Amino acid sequence: MTRVERLLPLGVPVALIALWQAASSAGLIPPNILPAPWDVVQAAWRLIQNGELPKNLGISFARAMGGLVIGGGLGFALGLMNGVSRLSEAATDSTLQMLRTIPHLALIPLVILWFGIGETARLFLVALGVFFPVYLNTLHGIRSVDPQLIEMGRVYGMTNGQLFRRVLLPGALPSIFVGLRYALGIMWLTLIVAETIAANSGIGHMAMKAREFLQVDVVVLSIVIYAILGKLADSVTRAMERRALKWNPAYAAV
Amino acid sequence: MPPSEGARGAAVRLEGAGKAFGATRVLHPMDLAIPAGGFLAIVGRSGCGKSTLLRLILGLETPTEGTVSVEGGADAARLVFQEPRLLPWASVAENVAVGAHGSMDGVAAALDAVALPDKADRWPAQLSGGQRQRVALARALVGQPRLLALDEPLGALDALTRLDMQALIERVWVERGFTAILVTHDVAEAVALADRVLLIEDGRIGLDLAVEGARPRHPEDPAQVAARAAVLDAIMAREGAH
Repeated sequence: MTRVERLLPLGVPVALIALWQAASSAGLIPPNILPAPWDVVQAAWRLIQNGELPKNLGISFARAMGGLVIGGGLGFALGLMNGVSRLSEAATDSTLQMLRTIPHLALIPLVILWFGIGETARLFLVALGVFFPVYLNTLHGIRSVDPQLIEMGRVYGMTNGQLFRRVLLPGALPSIFVGLRYALGIMWLTLIVAETIAANSGIGHMAMKAREFLQVDVVVLSIVIYAILGKLADSVTRAMERRALKWNPAYAAV
Repeated sequence: MPPSEGARGAAVRLEGAGKAFGATRVLHPMDLAIPAGGFLAIVGRSGCGKSTLLRLILGLETPTEGTVSVEGGADAARLVFQEPRLLPWASVAENVAVGAHGSMDGVAAALDAVALPDKADRWPAQLSGGQRQRVALARALVGQPRLLALDEPLGALDALTRLDMQALIERVWVERGFTAILVTHDVAEAVALADRVLLIEDGRIGLDLAVEGARPRHPEDPAQVAARAAVLDAIMAREGAH
């Protein structure tokens, strides 16, 4: 890839920000509706200096990862179990499919009644949100492993453990990554909602507090931070994906 | 590489062995003895029961009646499928090691034997179809089989690659002395490789023909011409009877 091609994806965002800044400077956009990019940068600097941004960012990040580990871990484990064992699938899959149809954010009133607005409520919501994409894609991944390869493994004397490690799991990995990337999107979405509605710390809370004090620059900053966090998580997963799936021509480094 | 003790051929014996799936009779009870180190080709139309016969011999199916015995047991046998069936996420060397229960001992020698010594670190996706099937052959050979079963292994390859692979299979069979069973629908291939050709028709042995001649065989060799004609005549004669 040439230098130009590498920089090309940045062209549109940079142009949009430049346009935004120019329009704000020219007075076309009132600052109480949308502050200029430069004002947002200054707000970021202010909040970094008084320690509020690093603190809230750390809290939000920890919540996101905690929920992902709990919900994703459970989804992965159940997906594997139901992919391998018909008995386990018969026992749990239809229940899970039923629960899946409930939008997890619809549970917010109930969750607040159960857990109040403490950490448990947010962890529960994030975990619930990421559970299903990881579960469904892990199950699908295990099921779509080429049965001819499984037969080959058996004919060549692999034990069940070897068959799982060397055939089923690597075969399911592309699908598991799809589930993980999907789960990351839901993870941020859930966290934003949970922190906006019921929290006393975190980026979402920072945005809601800023709204009360009409600090539009901080509100916009919070949104930008969510965008950056989402993009960052996606990039990290894609890098992991490329590394783990380098055998697959579709993921080979260009 | 000199044939090791374990690489000697295994004798195969079927006594009244047959197979039915429920009410569907796939193979009528038959007797068959393959001497150690022999090369048997099984030909027939799709669905005639030739693959079932192979699976019976390998112990992948249990006979409905009769007995099947392979000297050295099932672990002495290795199967090459119609498709390479390589693990796409494992390197060529790791794929070959599957045939040795994961051990890397002998992997390099097996890749040498199929003339792919420099591809050990490649991914299967980086190989051609013929190369992949040679890796599959190396995976079977690395276990030092006493019986090598080939289930239409060349069916998916182009004509020129098939000729290369046929020569390769014949060479390793001569060098290592294992018993070989080749299932194929290609009469010329069966006659070129095997010293005995079995025609299976509707689950019965339709023809059992010994093929003579020095190796490597030439297609114009009179013994080859005669054997091809005999097998094709047997197939056509049945066609006329229908």
